[in-house]
Parts: sequence; structure tokens; C-alpha cells
Amino acid sequence: MKREKIAPAPREAAVILVAFAVLWFAPAFIGEYGLQLGFRTLIYLTLAEGWNLMAGSAGLVSLGTSCFVGLGAYVAYGLLNGLDLPLPAALVVCALSGAALAALVSPALFRLRGLYFTVGTLALAELLRLIMINVSAFGGATGFFLKNDPPALPILFRYALAVAVIAALAATLCVRTRASVILRSVRDDEDAAAQMGVRPFRVKLAAFMLASALAAMAGAVQAVKLGAIEPYGMFGLQWSIDVLTMVIIGGVGARLGPLVGALFVIALGEALADYPEAHIAIAGVILIVLIRFAPRGIVGLAAALGRAARGRALA
Amino acid sequence: MNAPLLEVAGVVKRFGGIVAIDHVDLALLPGTITGVIGPNGAGKSTLIGLIGGALAPSHGTITLDGRDVTRLPASERARAGIGRTYQIPRPFLDMTVEENLEVAQYSIEPFISAGAARRARAELLVRTGLDDAAMFPARALPLLRRKRLEVARALALKPRVVLLDEVGAGLVDSEITELITLIKSIIDSRKAIVIVEHVIRVVRECCARSIVLNFGKKLIEGPTGEILANDEVAAVYLGTQGAREKRSACDGEPVADAAVHVGAPAAERDMLAPLIAAASSNVSDGPLLELRGVEAGYGQARVLKGIDLIVREGQAIAILGANGAGKTTLARVITGAIAHASGSLRFAGHDITGFAPHHIAAMGVAHCMEGRRIIPSLSVEENLKIAARRADAPKTRQRLNAVYDLFPVLAERKNSAGTSLSGGQQQMLAIGRTLMARPRLAIFDEISLGLAPVVMDKLYEALAMLKQARMTLVMIEQDVDRALALADYAYVLEHGVFGLSGSAAEIAANPLLRHIYIGAAD
Repeated sequence: MKREKIAPAPREAAVILVAFAVLWFAPAFIGEYGLQLGFRTLIYLTLAEGWNLMAGSAGLVSLGTSCFVGLGAYVAYGLLNGLDLPLPAALVVCALSGAALAALVSPALFRLRGLYFTVGTLALAELLRLIMINVSAFGGATGFFLKNDPPALPILFRYALAVAVIAALAATLCVRTRASVILRSVRDDEDAAAQMGVRPFRVKLAAFMLASALAAMAGAVQAVKLGAIEPYGMFGLQWSIDVLTMVIIGGVGARLGPLVGALFVIALGEALADYPEAHIAIAGVILIVLIRFAPRGIVGLAAALGRAARGRALA
Repeated sequence: MNAPLLEVAGVVKRFGGIVAIDHVDLALLPGTITGVIGPNGAGKSTLIGLIGGALAPSHGTITLDGRDVTRLPASERARAGIGRTYQIPRPFLDMTVEENLEVAQYSIEPFISAGAARRARAELLVRTGLDDAAMFPARALPLLRRKRLEVARALALKPRVVLLDEVGAGLVDSEITELITLIKSIIDSRKAIVIVEHVIRVVRECCARSIVLNFGKKLIEGPTGEILANDEVAAVYLGTQGAREKRSACDGEPVADAAVHVGAPAAERDMLAPLIAAASSNVSDGPLLELRGVEAGYGQARVLKGIDLIVREGQAIAILGANGAGKTTLARVITGAIAHASGSLRFAGHDITGFAPHHIAAMGVAHCMEGRRIIPSLSVEENLKIAARRADAPKTRQRLNAVYDLFPVLAERKNSAGTSLSGGQQQMLAIGRTLMARPRLAIFDEISLGLAPVVMDKLYEALAMLKQARMTLVMIEQDVDRALALADYAYVLEHGVFGLSGSAAEIAANPLLRHIYIGAAD
């Protein structure tokens, strides 16, 4: 019912492109601190859009985000250091490699449903991390340095912006078009969807590949900014948990859930930056309270309050 | 004669050691409607699953229009033109009705023009009577409308073979007439339809040919008229309804005979004793259950608009009424599952207005819910045991034995998963579970829904035995004849109020009953 009122795909894409154009010129107006924060928000927004695509639309709850972040970082370094590829070309290859890894592991992972799939993705991320640590050709525990100096922060901000816009457009494509009902049918009842002619394996694979490509690109941009990578950070479970936390706080399956969640979590982190222990504890309490009282996240809560207010206005 | 559109040859399906389908052959010619009937557990739904692709056969081949589809998964068979419905509807609950149809449309034709798709959906919704619900979330639909959505979704695939699995269950006569019209409007010279159905009227009026399955094997195949008159079919499947069918065929007028054979000997009464709560002396003069001016509903919709009901100890009450009249809502109000808006409820002399369901259950009200509600992760025996919450081990054992005496098949399968049973056995389990609580008042909601006539006979025999043993019963029932044969008093719900009430014999004789209940069918 409510979906009928929301803007259709072209209108939403236009909004995203306008936001892209405006933010492109942001580096001229916001300072170093603003750019750092903006960069971080955009990277997390990219990851959160991908995660929401899988969990919210296709019903695939993943703890494997770190696996693809790390993959993107390592592939980017290989291409930049080894082949001297320009960064945009490297990002394209990173996206392809993320999608390729997703396709490679999907026959095994999609045999698992529900929570078992989640555990499977976690195992995959750990597997890749352990390989990176233990194989010296991949830099072992120390990792790699970037051969050339990374681009300046304003340039990196624009890369992160471009990747985030690709993620937002991909989400629009999946949520606001015909693809949306197909994805949701697989999420709600795979067997019944198959009986409707939907091929659940392909649908899940498409969502998984898309999310993985986005995570790999975000990982690559993040790695270039750092100037050095090592497996504990790039393949750290923290990526997966942060992203999951953001989308749950924002609202799983809600179009604005990733954006609201990323902004909220990063703003909270900044507000409590001087008290790192309190930060984690408070974030935990907020998560518990939200799941108890607003299981559909901030966006879901806002929608419910809006409905209630309209109901009162009518009464 | 042209080639069959769908051919099933020597198909076998085993689940572990159980052979659910044993060398079944079936050929569907284009332009035909074939009925599949048989007792619950005969393998009818398994056969639908095998043709639809949800299940892979252990042996045999399935050919669609000359193409071997035996090894194709469900999605490919749907794309090849096989549309099926699920006996227990599985709509996408969080989508609107219209979006449910879009899934089928966009999966087979991703680039169909939006206008054409919308027109096709609108037409399907009108045909299946769901046009007023297009924007409702599927979750909001009651069971019978979900069944219509199943049909609409299957048709949205533009299938050449349509498999309808018990879409007629629970419908009143006028709705069955609509269903028959719908089925006849689907068929054309390029299509074939298979109907699995316990509503014999649908099979008789739609299907030129029928097959009867029994224990996974094809018992008989032939013209529907001959099949329904066959003595063997009557024995394994039709039961007393077979007798009624024949008689009504002979003298042309409906016979409201007793569908059950009451006459439980004293031994049977002793056997059931552990399940019957003794009448407590202090309330024996007052009513056991008393409803006064009860109004209830969901959200804005008021379903019950002032219900007065009195049930005395040892009575059997039938609540009749068309679909949507509020019968199940009434049961849910009595058991506390939904809060009522106004009025009062008294049970055994206590005011139970606003009590929580578990509290009411502990006072002795047991509810055998529509749709059986068997807990899938528990075995048959565990399903039974959870209802005996306040009994110690020896008492639980006594009650279990009494339930097993009543339904011996449950004892045979006591370690199987509750939902692995056939529909009829699951209903027995649901009834048994209700009895395990040793209730003072048992409410049975649509226990005959989707069951073979011969199984209905069994269930009503069991209810008759319970009545003999002085259990207080409230039966909510679609099958008027059976319910009235057993009940002392009957109430007919119409638009949320009792339009008619009185002794069962009066109600049965009242011409208004047919008018209220059956609508404009005749």
C-alpha cells in the first residue's frame, strides 16, 4: 500500500544524481575533518546498501562483508603496485573480482539457508583472512605498502562518493523496479517463488554478486586511503559487524535504512569519540533498545510515528 | 485422438522407507479436466508436487508436450507452463495481492509492458473475486481468500497445465458454484487441468474423467460418474457420503441422514473417561459458558455485533454460518485469543472477561483450531503431551492411551513428526491434543475442512462418542448435515449476529437455514 506512494525509479535516481552533483563540490566548502567524516560515511553507506540489498531484499543475512572488503583491498594493491593500473580501472577489476568470488562460493553457500548461510559467510571471511596471514606471497601478517603516494583527500572523497552513488543506484534498481518483487518473493518463500517460475538460485546469486562487487570497491578505496594494508584490519570481523549494526539501526529492508543507519552510527561515534569505552557500551544499549522497541529500525519507527500522527490528525 | 499434453509414466516417489506414490500413470489430453480423489494420505498432494516439480520422482518420467521435464526444477517447469496451487496457501505474506501476481508475471516475462501486465492482473483479480483486495497485504487475507490468491497466482503464469490442490475446501455451496464457473472458464483446447478435491460436487461437475488414488497406487480410472458410483471407491473413500450420493441420485431429493452412528457402548465410555472432566456440582445448575452482548473484531472491522450464547454442561452446540460470518472470531473470543470490544463472558460461574488465553485454557476451555496448527518440530506424542500441562505422568499416560484408543493410527505414528502425517491424521492429532487437556468445554473449529468423506465419518464418530461420554462440545462447522445430526442446539451466525437459533431438529427443518447458509446457490 505504502509502496505505491513512494517515488518510482527514475525520480529516485534523479535525486541520487543531484546529491552526487552537489556533494562533488563539497571538498571546496568542508574542511579536513568534514572530508574525513564524509569519506567514512560514504564507505559505510556503500557497504550498508549492499548488505541491505542482500538481507532486506533477498533475505541473505551475511557476516562476510569483511571478506569482500579485504579482497578489494588486496586486489587493488596488486593492480596498483604490480601493474601500475590507474585507480578507476583498478576499481572496475576489484568489483569484478568481488562478484567472481561470490559466484565461485555460491554453489556451496546457497546450499545453506537462513542462519546457516550467515555462519557460512563468516567462515568464508575467516578462511580468506587466514590465507592472507599464512601465505607469504600475499604479504603474510605484515601486509603491503602502497608504492605510490595515495591521492589527496578531496580526490579520495570523490572516489568514495562515486562508489556510494553506484551503490545507491544499484539499490534503487533492485528496490524500485520489477526486480523488487522477484527479490522479495525469494526472501519470503523460495519454494513458492520457484513454483511461480522464479529461479531462486540466480536471484540470490545476482544480489550476492552485486553486494560483493560494491564491498570490494569500497574496500579498495579505503585501502588506497590508508596507504598500507594488513590482513587483521582489512579482513577484520569489525567491518561485517559495523555494517550489520548500521542497517539494523537504520531499518532492514527500508530504502533509507542504510543511509540513516550510517549517519547515525558515525555521528554517535564522533559525539563519543573522547570516551571510546562508553561509545561501544552506548551503541550496544541503543541496539538493544531499538531491537526491542523498534524492530524495523529508525526508519520503521519514523514511519510508524508518522502513521500515528496522521491517524490522530484524521480523528 | 491427439497426443497427451502431460504424461506421467510409472512414477514412484519414496520418502525414506515410505512409498508415497507407487507406479502411477496419468495422461492428460488437451482440453480436459481430470479429477484426482482418494483418502487423506493417498498421495494426491505428492502427485501434484511431482508434476509441479517441487518433488523429484524416485523413478519414472514426466513429459510435457513431448518434452521430458522429469529432471527440471520447479522454476523451469513453471516456465514451461505448469502452474500449481498449494493445498495450504503459501502467498508472499508481506506483499500486496497484486504484487503476488507480479512475481509470476515478471518472472516469465520480465519485459512485459506495465499496462499489459496491469490489465492482465486486473482481469485475473476479477475472475478470482479478489479485485477488492488488490492493495491488501496477503497477510490480511483469510484462509479462503488466500486459496483464491493461489489460483490467481497459478493462472498469472499463463500455464498450459493447471494443478488445483483442494481449492474448494471450506467453501459454501454458492462459492463452490463460483469456483466451478471459474474452473470451466480456465479450460480451453490447449490446456489441461488436474483437480485434487474432497468437495465431490466440484469433481462431479468439472471432471469428465477421474482417478482414485489409494495408498499411493491408482485404484481405478475412468469417467467420473462411474467412479463415484463404484462400490470400491465408496468403501475406501466416500463412506456415508457415497451412500448419500447414491440415494440422492435415485430419488432426487437431498437426504439429511445421520452421518454418524451413535451408540457407544459402556466400554467406550469407560475408555474415554480419562479425557472427560467431571461436572462440578456447584455450577451444574448454572450455564457452563455464558456470553452476553459480545462484540468483537479486528481493527476497525466489527465482526461480532452482539452475541448472546449459553452452553450448559454436557450439551453439544453447533455454530453454523457462511464464510466470513464470524464463526472463528467467536471461538477466538471465547478462548481469549482476541480481546472483545464489549459484552461479558462467564465460564463455570466466573467472569472471564479480559482473561489471557492461557488462563482460560487452564480453567478448562480447549480449542481445536481451524487449520490444525500442529507444531512441526514436535512428534505426534509430544504434540499430545504439551496439552496435558497440569497432569502428572500417570494421568498423562492414561489420557494418551485414551486418545490412542480413540484414534489408533496416532499410536502407530506416535514418534513421527506431527506435520508428516496426512491431513486426516493431523486433524485427529489436533482433536486428540484438544482432549489431552481434559477440557470442560471443547471447541472444534472446522474439523472436517479438507478431509475425505470417509475420514469425516471417523471424526464425527469420535465426536459422537465424546458426546455420549457427556463432554461439552461447541462445533463450528461448514458441513451442516453432520453438525446438525450431532448437536443438541444450533446457532446460525449471519453478519455477526445469530440470525437463527434453536434445537438442532428445528434448525434442520427450518427453510431459512438453506437461505441464510447456502445463499443464492439453489
